[in-house]
Amino acid sequence: MITLSAVTKLYNEGRPNQMAALDGIDLTVPGDAVTVLTGPSGSGKTTLLSLIGCMARPTSGRVHLNGDMVSGLPESFLTGLRRTTFGFVFQRFNLVRGLSVIENVRLPAVPLGPDHVELTERAMARLEHLGLADKADIPVEYLSGGETQRAAIARALINDAPILIADEPTANLDTVLVNRFLDIVADLRAEGRTVIMTSHDPRIFTASLVDNVVRMVDGRLDTEEAPA
Amino acid sequence: MTPWLRRQRALADYTLSALGRRKGKNISLVVIYALIVFLVASIMMFSSGMRREADLVLSEAPELIVQQLTLGRHELIAGGEVEKLAAIRGVTAAKGRLWGYYYDRLNGANYTVMVPDDPTIKLEQGQAILGEAIPRSRGLSWEGAPLFLSRFEGDLVKFDVVDTLSHDSALVSADLMLITEQDFRDFFGLEPDVYTDISVSIRNEREIATIIAKAEKVMPKARFVTRADISRTYQKLFDWREGLLVTLAIAAILAFGIFAAEKASGLSAEETREIGILKAIGWDTGDVIAMKLWEGALVSVGAFLTGAVAAYVHVFLGGAGLFAPVLKGWSVLYPDFALTPQIDVLQLTTLFLVTVLPYVAATLVPIWRVATGDPDQVMR
Repeated sequence: MITLSAVTKLYNEGRPNQMAALDGIDLTVPGDAVTVLTGPSGSGKTTLLSLIGCMARPTSGRVHLNGDMVSGLPESFLTGLRRTTFGFVFQRFNLVRGLSVIENVRLPAVPLGPDHVELTERAMARLEHLGLADKADIPVEYLSGGETQRAAIARALINDAPILIADEPTANLDTVLVNRFLDIVADLRAEGRTVIMTSHDPRIFTASLVDNVVRMVDGRLDTEEAPA
Repeated sequence: MTPWLRRQRALADYTLSALGRRKGKNISLVVIYALIVFLVASIMMFSSGMRREADLVLSEAPELIVQQLTLGRHELIAGGEVEKLAAIRGVTAAKGRLWGYYYDRLNGANYTVMVPDDPTIKLEQGQAILGEAIPRSRGLSWEGAPLFLSRFEGDLVKFDVVDTLSHDSALVSADLMLITEQDFRDFFGLEPDVYTDISVSIRNEREIATIIAKAEKVMPKARFVTRADISRTYQKLFDWREGLLVTLAIAAILAFGIFAAEKASGLSAEETREIGILKAIGWDTGDVIAMKLWEGALVSVGAFLTGAVAAYVHVFLGGAGLFAPVLKGWSVLYPDFALTPQIDVLQLTTLFLVTVLPYVAATLVPIWRVATGDPDQVMR
């Protein structure tokens, strides 16, 4: 469970172009569930997701992960959390171009110094599960949109993170691929993982497997339109 | 394998794959880098090889040379002085030496003409032993070809070439011509019982200063040149030549500096993005820097080794074709000999430090700047 209390996030703090991306957020994201942050562009979904995923620290307020405050931890501890607790799927998937699919999938585990053979087997198992085993050795720039997304998911899960964080994972994907993504999310849920994602795609936030929808507008929670 | 080693292996693995993506750029970088190391290492190896060669040759030279001076210039010395020097305690032997220069108008070269003081060298009147550069420059390519020398218009002196000096001593003997004492005196029109200078052998080298002090009393106007003095002169000559080439190499190093600075001044948008991705997926600043250290080390150490090995091959196996004209020989006559392979570890280490460390440091600074940023930038 992740709890945010009075969380504010300012960008360019103290400069003329200071901007409040989040303003006084109080939110509890339940574990063992699928939560979708939704809202129009610029509403602060991605910023909130990056605070939840320990990729940034709030300007003020606190973030607790399973009861432990994480918002004040030094960078090295946050890195450790990102390695072990969260798996990330970015909006543009952010695979490293020029590397093969399997090299990309192995990347989050590299600094942990794992056994090479064991890591490769683990990565192959992930790719197999996502139907990408035959593409393991090709450079990621040759993948289609759906394949890129699945490669990104495989990478996010290589360290067996219990929480998957996904930022607009279905942007620019057709309905077939959206449905396939939802199937993958269902599998992840069946494995007991928590999924937190942003999306303004109705096919995602209205999906039956979504347990919790958080609506946002202008950096605040949109309580008026809270789901029933 | 320890976790630390496994981590390094995984980082190196990733770095190699990452380097493979920009093959053209990285190969050109390594080539330029290796060329510069090659240039500087060649100069260093060649010069130190030459210095060692000079020391080897001089190790057989007499401990002390005594020369007469008149008006500050080298003058012929009377034969009677030889006995005076030989009588000093601690002197094993004193011998009058005969040597001079002959300018050959045919090839514009100066020969050092000398009477050998080595009793094993047997010469008869009209015979000569030549340094290896003389027959080469005079085109005496066939065995037994005589050498004709002309001191003035209408004059012609013939010498039968009975031998050529070995390449081993070519550094100082390339322009040497050995003839008998009688031929020497006839050729230069020299009075009997005068010598060019006197070579003095000394039993205990540590006594040289004392013996010079005694000899100065006997020959107050003479100049005393020790073997160490000659060695120093050679060293200075090679140092100076090396300096000349190093100056040229500095231009190349500067060009490389600009190249490296350009690389160091900022990362490409792609590299910045990549570092953001790595941080976002769980790499910390230390991991990113370690990976970039691997990259810098692979590029610079690879280039250094390539350059240094190429320089070794060039200098010791290939005869240093690129620098030989500048670094060895005198104006017209260049000795032709192979240097004995040897590596000056201190010099090589210095070269390693001045080429590899600045490069790694220069590339690390911008990485550090980017790597310490918040990873959430990759999400925006």
